[in-house]
Amino acid sequence: MIQHLLRVSHVSKHFGGNVAVHDVSFAVDEKQIVGLIGPNGAGKTTLFNCITGFFPVTSGEVIFDIKKINDLRPDEVCRLGMARTWQRVKPLGSLSVLENVMVGAFSVTNKARQAEEIAIEQLKSMGLTDYASKSAGSLPIGLKKKLELARVLATHPKLLLLDEICGGLNHTETDAILDIIRTIRQRGATIVFIEHDMKAVTSICDRIVVLNSGEKLAEGTPEEITNNPDVIAAYLGGGHHA
Amino acid sequence: MKQITLVTILAAAAIALPLVIGENPYITGILISVLMMAALSSAWNILGGYAGQYSFGHAAYFGAGAYTTMILLTNYSTLNPLICIAVGIIVASIIALITGSIVFRLRGHYFGLASIAVAEIVRLSVLNFDFTGGAQGILLSDVSLWGLDLNSKNPFYYGMLLVLVVTLGITAYLRTSKTGYYLQAIREDQDAASSLGINLSFYKNKSLLISAALTSVLGSLYGLYIRFIDTSAVLDLRLSIEIILTAIIGGVGTLWGPVVGAFLLVPLAEMLRSNLLGDALIKAGLVSETSALGIFLKENLAHAHVLVYGIITVLCILYLPKGILGLFRRAK
Repeated sequence: MIQHLLRVSHVSKHFGGNVAVHDVSFAVDEKQIVGLIGPNGAGKTTLFNCITGFFPVTSGEVIFDIKKINDLRPDEVCRLGMARTWQRVKPLGSLSVLENVMVGAFSVTNKARQAEEIAIEQLKSMGLTDYASKSAGSLPIGLKKKLELARVLATHPKLLLLDEICGGLNHTETDAILDIIRTIRQRGATIVFIEHDMKAVTSICDRIVVLNSGEKLAEGTPEEITNNPDVIAAYLGGGHHA
Repeated sequence: MKQITLVTILAAAAIALPLVIGENPYITGILISVLMMAALSSAWNILGGYAGQYSFGHAAYFGAGAYTTMILLTNYSTLNPLICIAVGIIVASIIALITGSIVFRLRGHYFGLASIAVAEIVRLSVLNFDFTGGAQGILLSDVSLWGLDLNSKNPFYYGMLLVLVVTLGITAYLRTSKTGYYLQAIREDQDAASSLGINLSFYKNKSLLISAALTSVLGSLYGLYIRFIDTSAVLDLRLSIEIILTAIIGGVGTLWGPVVGAFLLVPLAEMLRSNLLGDALIKAGLVSETSALGIFLKENLAHAHVLVYGIITVLCILYLPKGILGLFRRAK
């Protein structure tokens, strides 16, 4: 059997009678970039929350490396090497930009000095050095997204889950983020990312998983997905499919 | 460097102060209250200011220390008070761990409400048990340690000062350590903190434990100092709130904020209580003694120090949301 870095198998998440995610399975191999797309309310973020331990799954399994992680807390999942960003950025507002990244770095070191070194390095690679002493809450959205990325990278993740990291950004900012993501992959990280921007997704992903109404609609390479009639219908047809 | 010099001068002044004012029990008494409130508020600040968990029930830990020490000493009068203080820490820690495991599941306002509930449970239990003296409280006739004159106030002045210094030292250390960063991350955003590998309940409980242990030492010292305690003195919700207001007015989440708050509020409360303020206004001719305001000042203001706290707090929240220390921060 092939060893995947992340395997989501038959995961369902119900909120009372509401089925947010139903029987979704997919796998991510090392050094892959996998896109998770779907219309609003398709269950993408819910699935992220299930994978990272924020929501307990109703049924199914999430396996990271060789470990079943369904029952772990988010912080345990992070320390295993799976880190996430948030669709609505969550800066630690009253802390400085540097301190924000240090908080991430503390998951790989106990020493403040080392955490600071990691953080400075991370800020440099993200082009945030000039903002190091600014309070995180005062940054504009584009920089907050970069900070979110710098902070999560400071935890030295093996697998990175990015939730609409380009959401709300203009083209230049989006391109800058995509460049960073490519660089991260070259350094050996694996990435799953949720995105609305089809152009961004198809330009960078090795494989794409499409969710619709909580179920997996399709999975494949960017070409397969853009030519898949079901996907086109779900995105454009407004319910004419199936 | 500047801060180290400042701290050295402050410490020297604090140590020399009783020698300068000599044998003046009234002033020494006020200073002890100031130091105690500064230390209480600083201890609360570790949990409330840094971890952002507003505990409204810190009187429970103060009372745990005070009651443990007093009960032990009334039953075993030869016991070393330091051992009683240590046992007090253990009792407070147990209460803290039980409290933490229950109330830290809750966030925001719910945590605050639950912390009040726990403190009220402790207060009502103490009020209704026999071994705690119930509503009568506990009176201690004599206490001795190392031949110190515990009838004089100076030993307690230095005791409170020591706890304050230790509390500030712990806070200063925490601020530059992993734990301090983690506590502040929890304060700013619990979900973000959790996603960055921070074990929320471990770090919340850790800060509660440190905070509760320090608070209980102060409770024990208070018991030994006054030698009489009852629930209204050491377990009242009013005490919990005074601790919080002191921190808010001085500056929540700052090292010196609670100290500044205590040096401002405790003497102010004392002036109101002893009617110094009303008398001064009347003597200065600003207010006529027979006017309605004059009568109000003389008759009622003495009971109104909590009201004045309230007014200052409202003004602080409106105009100085970061406390008095925030004023200086902004100027920088």
